Amino acid sequence: MTENLSPDEVASQVIAIVAKQAKVDVAAIKPESTLKDFGIASLDAIEMIFDIEAHFDITIPDQGANFDTDTVQSLVDAVNKALAAKVAGPDAAA
Amino acid sequence: MTQPLDSGVAITGMGAVSAFGEGAERLWQGLREGQSGIRPLRHARADKMRIRVAAQVPESFDPAQHCSERTLPLLDRCSQLALAAANEAVAQSGLDFSAGDLALRTGVIIGTGIGGETTHDEQSRLIYEEHTGRVHPFTIVRLMVNAPASQVSIAHGLHGPTFAVASACASANHALAQAAAMIRAGLVDVVVSGGTEACLGFGSLKAWEAMRVVADDTCRPFSKGRRGLVLGEGAAIFVLESKAHARARGAAILGELAGVGMSADAGDIAAPDPAGSARAMAQALVDAGLTTEDVDYINAHGTGTQANDVAETEAIHRVFGPHAAKLVVSSTKSMHGHALGASGALELVAVLGAMRDGVVPPTMNYVAADPDCDLDYAPNAPRPMHVRAALSNSFAFGGLNAVLAIRAPS
Repeated sequence: MTENLSPDEVASQVIAIVAKQAKVDVAAIKPESTLKDFGIASLDAIEMIFDIEAHFDITIPDQGANFDTDTVQSLVDAVNKALAAKVAGPDAAA
Repeated sequence: MTQPLDSGVAITGMGAVSAFGEGAERLWQGLREGQSGIRPLRHARADKMRIRVAAQVPESFDPAQHCSERTLPLLDRCSQLALAAANEAVAQSGLDFSAGDLALRTGVIIGTGIGGETTHDEQSRLIYEEHTGRVHPFTIVRLMVNAPASQVSIAHGLHGPTFAVASACASANHALAQAAAMIRAGLVDVVVSGGTEACLGFGSLKAWEAMRVVADDTCRPFSKGRRGLVLGEGAAIFVLESKAHARARGAAILGELAGVGMSADAGDIAAPDPAGSARAMAQALVDAGLTTEDVDYINAHGTGTQANDVAETEAIHRVFGPHAAKLVVSSTKSMHGHALGASGALELVAVLGAMRDGVVPPTMNYVAADPDCDLDYAPNAPRPMHVRAALSNSFAFGGLNAVLAIRAPS
């Protein structure tokens, strides 16, 4: 049940997934870090988004930009937004 | 212009099926006028996809018009498109393959990124979703990646070297380069060559969605606000022949495939490397005996993704130096979409049209300048100009680059 997570729990779970993909300690990841800082680029970034979607059972929309230049905080925000949309129901999510 | 090497290859016929319908001329008129072949996605499961738009061959396309009743059940959609385009190209060339040993000296080399995806998707659906326990007995002969080349050889009775070339989005250009190399080596006199693709099945559309490179609005190459590529389908096929062969029979020459350049990035499997694409462009110029100043137009790979358009712009700067600011670069994918293994062939139709009519097709849907894409992209309006020589770029996932150098007929 990922719908009832607190914002802190969402953030820590996203950071754990980023840390796993980047093979760094969670303590090294700050909200303002970009994926690029940890060498997550191109297909690796897309695979990580895929893992995050599966973990939270959500769909993160395409952004028309490179995920690897986004910050960890923007990723957490996107997950929170997608979770909120899921709670609101499929019509709202569309 | 430097003295042309006499090793170029004459193009004496072309045919196409595209989002504009049937016929190379219809495709060219659409591109020349800046029309869009991009429409809302036509698919039975469109409501289950994030992909909203595509450049699909119109529903009016009737494969039965292009092959015998007996052949039709043997054909995947990618072979149907290839046959229609090949028939048109062969008719325009005026070649009679029953004369002498010409059929033995004519090959067929057709690029396709995926091959019979429509067949694969539908037959998989039958066994996985409908649990039919069996598939159609023609499944293999429809879906094999060499089927388009084989069907064209059968339809026209061509007995020379015949096979498929696969390099994802560069398949057509690699096929045309291979055809030119075989003619120049004297292995054959004529090759029917180009590319075909029809892979808008549910499974492959989902795969493109997952890769997050497909735009949900439209294709805006080199523009600020671009959101990715728009998938297309189609085929374009050409008749290539040695210049001596074409001259001897007094054939009308549409243009000359003057040189080719091919390279591999040998780096990332998906992200483009400007060093690799620049090497392919530079090789094509050398192979064609062209200087950078001889080139007036580049038909760009120009997919409309963030990564491609910046890398391609950088590569053009590296190869052309100050001349990069003088030439015109346009992406016709903004109109015919990205037809993957067929795209280089559809774009060769655009280059030959530009040379014939003195009009460079535009890059449509351009909103505003991206500081990282600073060339003249002929935004939103066709550009009347004389084109003496042009490059046509194709850069594929897998880091594979194939560039054609084309000279206007003299």
